[in-house]
Amino acid sequence: MPPLDKRIKKFLKDSIRIAPKISGKGELSELRTGLVSQYPQTRKDAIKKTIQQMTLGKDVSSLFPDVLKNIATIDVEQKKLVYLYVMNYAETHPELCILAVNTFITDAQDPNPLIRCMAIRTMSMIRVDKILEYIETPLRRTLHDDNAYVRKTAVICVAKLFQLNKDLCVELGVVEDLVNALDDSNPLVIANATAALIEIHNMDMDAVDLSSLIQSHVSQFLLALNECTEWARIIILGTLSEYSAKDSLEAQDIIDRVTAHLQHVNPAVVLATIKVIVRNLPQIEYSSNSLIMKRLSSAFVSLMSTPPEMQYVALKNIRIILEKYPELLTKELRIFYVKFNDPLYVKLEKIDILVRLVDPSNLKQCTLLLTELKEYAMEYEPEFVSRAIQALSQLGIKYAQESFVSKVLDILLELLERQDTIKDDCCISLCDLLRHCPGNDKMAKQVCAVFNTWSNPEVLLQSDIAKCNYVWLLGQHPNNFSDLESKINIFIENFVQEEALTQMSLLMTIVRLHATLTGSMLQSVLELATQQTHELDVRDMAMMYWRCLSMPNNESLVNDLCQNKLPMISNTLEKFSPEVLEKLLMELGTISSIYFKPDSNRRKGKKYVQNIVKGKHIEELESMAKNEISSKANDDVLLDFDERDDVTNTNAGMLNTSTTLGDLDDLFDFGPSEDATQINTNDTKAVQGLKELKLGGDSNGISSGGKNNPDVSGGNIVSQDLLDLF
Amino acid sequence: MASAVYFCDHNGKPLLSRRYRDDIPLSAIDKFPILLSDLEEQSNLIPPCLNHNGLEYLFIQHNDLYVVAIVTSLSANAAAIFTFLHKLVEVLSDYLKTVEEESIRDNFVIIYELLDEVMDYGIPQITETKMLKQYITQKSFKLVKSAKKKRNATRPPVALTNSVSWRPEGITHKKNEAFLDIVESINMLMTQKGQVLRSEIIGDVKVNSKLSGMPDLKLGINDKGIFSKYLDDDTNIPSASATTSDNNTETDKKPSITSSSATNKKKVNIELEDLKFHQCVRLSKFENEKIITFIPPDGKFDLMNYRLSTTIKPLIWCDVNVQVHSNSRIEIHCKAKAQIKRKSTATNVEILIPVPDDADTPTFKYSHGSLKYVPEKSAILWKIRSFPGGKEYSMSAELGLPSISNNEDGNRTIPKSNAEILKGPVQIKFQIPYFTTSGIQVRYLKINEPKLQYKSYPWVRYITQSGDDYTIRLT
Repeated sequence: MPPLDKRIKKFLKDSIRIAPKISGKGELSELRTGLVSQYPQTRKDAIKKTIQQMTLGKDVSSLFPDVLKNIATIDVEQKKLVYLYVMNYAETHPELCILAVNTFITDAQDPNPLIRCMAIRTMSMIRVDKILEYIETPLRRTLHDDNAYVRKTAVICVAKLFQLNKDLCVELGVVEDLVNALDDSNPLVIANATAALIEIHNMDMDAVDLSSLIQSHVSQFLLALNECTEWARIIILGTLSEYSAKDSLEAQDIIDRVTAHLQHVNPAVVLATIKVIVRNLPQIEYSSNSLIMKRLSSAFVSLMSTPPEMQYVALKNIRIILEKYPELLTKELRIFYVKFNDPLYVKLEKIDILVRLVDPSNLKQCTLLLTELKEYAMEYEPEFVSRAIQALSQLGIKYAQESFVSKVLDILLELLERQDTIKDDCCISLCDLLRHCPGNDKMAKQVCAVFNTWSNPEVLLQSDIAKCNYVWLLGQHPNNFSDLESKINIFIENFVQEEALTQMSLLMTIVRLHATLTGSMLQSVLELATQQTHELDVRDMAMMYWRCLSMPNNESLVNDLCQNKLPMISNTLEKFSPEVLEKLLMELGTISSIYFKPDSNRRKGKKYVQNIVKGKHIEELESMAKNEISSKANDDVLLDFDERDDVTNTNAGMLNTSTTLGDLDDLFDFGPSEDATQINTNDTKAVQGLKELKLGGDSNGISSGGKNNPDVSGGNIVSQDLLDLF
Repeated sequence: MASAVYFCDHNGKPLLSRRYRDDIPLSAIDKFPILLSDLEEQSNLIPPCLNHNGLEYLFIQHNDLYVVAIVTSLSANAAAIFTFLHKLVEVLSDYLKTVEEESIRDNFVIIYELLDEVMDYGIPQITETKMLKQYITQKSFKLVKSAKKKRNATRPPVALTNSVSWRPEGITHKKNEAFLDIVESINMLMTQKGQVLRSEIIGDVKVNSKLSGMPDLKLGINDKGIFSKYLDDDTNIPSASATTSDNNTETDKKPSITSSSATNKKKVNIELEDLKFHQCVRLSKFENEKIITFIPPDGKFDLMNYRLSTTIKPLIWCDVNVQVHSNSRIEIHCKAKAQIKRKSTATNVEILIPVPDDADTPTFKYSHGSLKYVPEKSAILWKIRSFPGGKEYSMSAELGLPSISNNEDGNRTIPKSNAEILKGPVQIKFQIPYFTTSGIQVRYLKINEPKLQYKSYPWVRYITQSGDDYTIRLT
């Protein structure tokens, strides 16, 4: 210990601020003076202020050389800040970064593991070729560090390096080190190494043979699982879900080993466990199934008391799993009752699950749900109410008994009386119910009686689908409406303003009823539809009718077209196609499972993107080489401005091309994946609906078209119905 | 996984960010507020996952903040990201107390440090606050002292990467104590007539551990994870008393009320629907032997939680009667009853009854507690500090309504339903100390520290309270 007076002196120097006047204004000149101040405390203050300016989004890159001077410090906090700064602005001063390299390398050997980590972590984040050149020694050393904390950081750095400079990474052979790290004694290192390998695999499928690595390390993963942090568990469970068990025994073993994790407090761990179980479930003996199902069901239920975002993911995943195992949660209906303080996005998903979950053979449950849905339909949030009304008709059709359907009908009619804003939804739902019970005249009369009282349906109904349904009903039950002609006339007057579905529905209704209506109506609608619309489908349909009507035996022909018996619709809930479902089951918990868009066929595209990145790096290597030659020629002259401009220019240029190429690639990528997964976009579905209309047959497509999730292959059902018609 | 994490203000403008990967453009976050406002214009439906130009914006809301993660790949684990964001906020609240716009701006240094530690290359790493605090210390506030201390300290604790990653070695406490709080939150949805539509008990076992060394704890609850429950509507459930059966521990009884009649009641075993454990609990041990064993983190943590969804009778029941005389006034009559046994007392009872947005000039009549009009919530709030079991209190209120309403419809004969006028249900909050609804009891808490062999004192406390959804639906 130094003598007292020296200590006092040092204390004064360190702490009493003679010149620490760094104001909050953050002017560059002031910061610069502060950064080179003789007082350590002032310098530190200045660094903080600089970072603060950076946080606020100001460009403080011009301070780079001055900040860099502070990198060699024993103060960990200050070092962290300088590192942060260097990481952010290295690209603006690539030639100066070389000054930091020495510190990085020394720090990577620091006795304090925290500093070793920081050094390697920062170094591998800097996109400057000159820094990466020097990464070999520190990276290798940290990969084999005694301290697990350092190793777990270093393994991730390999993935970072791979992203920045694949060739260098391959050249150094560090990927092999990564593979070796899978056998590390520390579970956290194993988990991070796995995560890094997965990242590398996603960037370039040929770099590592991931599946065989997983294959050979399953036992390590299962062992590590019980020993590590929650995040590491998620990684390991995620990896296990990629693995397909050799036989039913192994599948059973995996399930047994992971099941305990269904009781982890972290919902993401629970979901990852569910994924592993679902993956292995088809393989195991049927006898043990029911117990596992019970565990799965209670795990899902527990996910309903997590934060709303997590519930959202869980609900979307339940939707997927229910299609494979419909009996899974039937006893837990009440859990999905909507809470008043749920966010809207959770409420809507809950309604969806409720209707899917309800057991159509259980009258008591269905009736309970019916009263619950009725409550929802009387709430105040428009989207929620609209979804609830849709669910009412879905429930009615699912339960399928006419007495129940008429109960639903009564509720809908009661709701209809209450409020104007929900007329659209009620109209659609009522028409759906009528389509379900095509022979029930009593119901039709009830509905028509209410609709009949509307003075101006064209104004009352807002949406295309609702209007389309209304007009369809006019055509189906003309005798239940008084003053039919004037009702149709309103729509003819507004024909040009209507959208395609309504136009077609109107066309069909008038052709159907042309014998009873005034002749001029038919004439005017055909003229309007052939001349005044831009919708090709509407025009085609009108042309077709016109031709038919002008044929000699037109009456019977039109009869054949329009008077067919309607097929009964038996299901208004959408389903995935089997291939999509299988893929989605593999991707539980991921973002693609939220969108119901399987991601697996996008992998090809990713590889392509990686190639571009690689190309860019070849360029970078070239400029690196060029730099090196010139810097040697310049003999340590670091500030060679010409050279610097050159580098930044090439970088910027390459960046541009890569983004445009990326965009192009996205375009290419989108098309095929859509085809492959049979995703029906709104458009194609609407068209399908229209085609049906054209054939004179009746469609559930009218109601389901347009407003559904584009990703769900509900269209399949529609096209099936179409086929049935022939 | 995540390419960057942002803290954004209530408009979605970034306050502070940390990029973990280089695969997104710097301007990516600028699109976030635009996406939000575009969605808000269209409808109330704003899902927590937005997509734009191939980037996924996953976000959560906390106070006046949006915490956003940007992700490039659809195969990223959304569940893990959302959980991570929540955990991140949790970690920050441990450091900053409140996490909001201002505290984010004021503490950027420590936040950058934490962001460095909790995630690397988009992969979540260490979020255990107790360990983080070992090497990320709040020195940023005490500028002067810091430089000196730094020199020898701040290394990552060795335990960080051990299998017991939540507890460093060498902890000492003068008095070795462990406090167990069993908190049961009741969620219940009732109709105005008193029919219970949905009810569940969410139990939480909170531990505050002040034990030295590396103690191994063993918790016994009644009958190996299977709770006995008295399916009796009088809810005369004995609240359990704490007993310990280890020779090193001493038995301690907190004041608790045991009902003598309870022994005669029919005893039914019901299985717990799901148990969730803190990561310190040995899950495989519980799976195989149904024994809860763990090495606790130091200080406070949630050991386990459980859920029961059996039908229970309302503990605090309100008979609410709302009469709307449209265009003139609204009358509310409310009778509240504490349907718990006489010896128990419900405390801090709050009954929030919704009224129309445009109500005014409230007049109240009430016998107990305090009653006030809270216009910002469009509700009246009745607070009763202490509500003994079996008692019944009542109140009535009358509020004026504007004589002309905007959406008046001349032809309309059917009045709007209450649900449309009164946006939301009646919400009730309460606490009942020394009482659990499920009948869960701690049989023992054995504390064993192999090296130190000290005397330790476990304390157990029970409390039942309302959950976030204890509501009566007005129809």
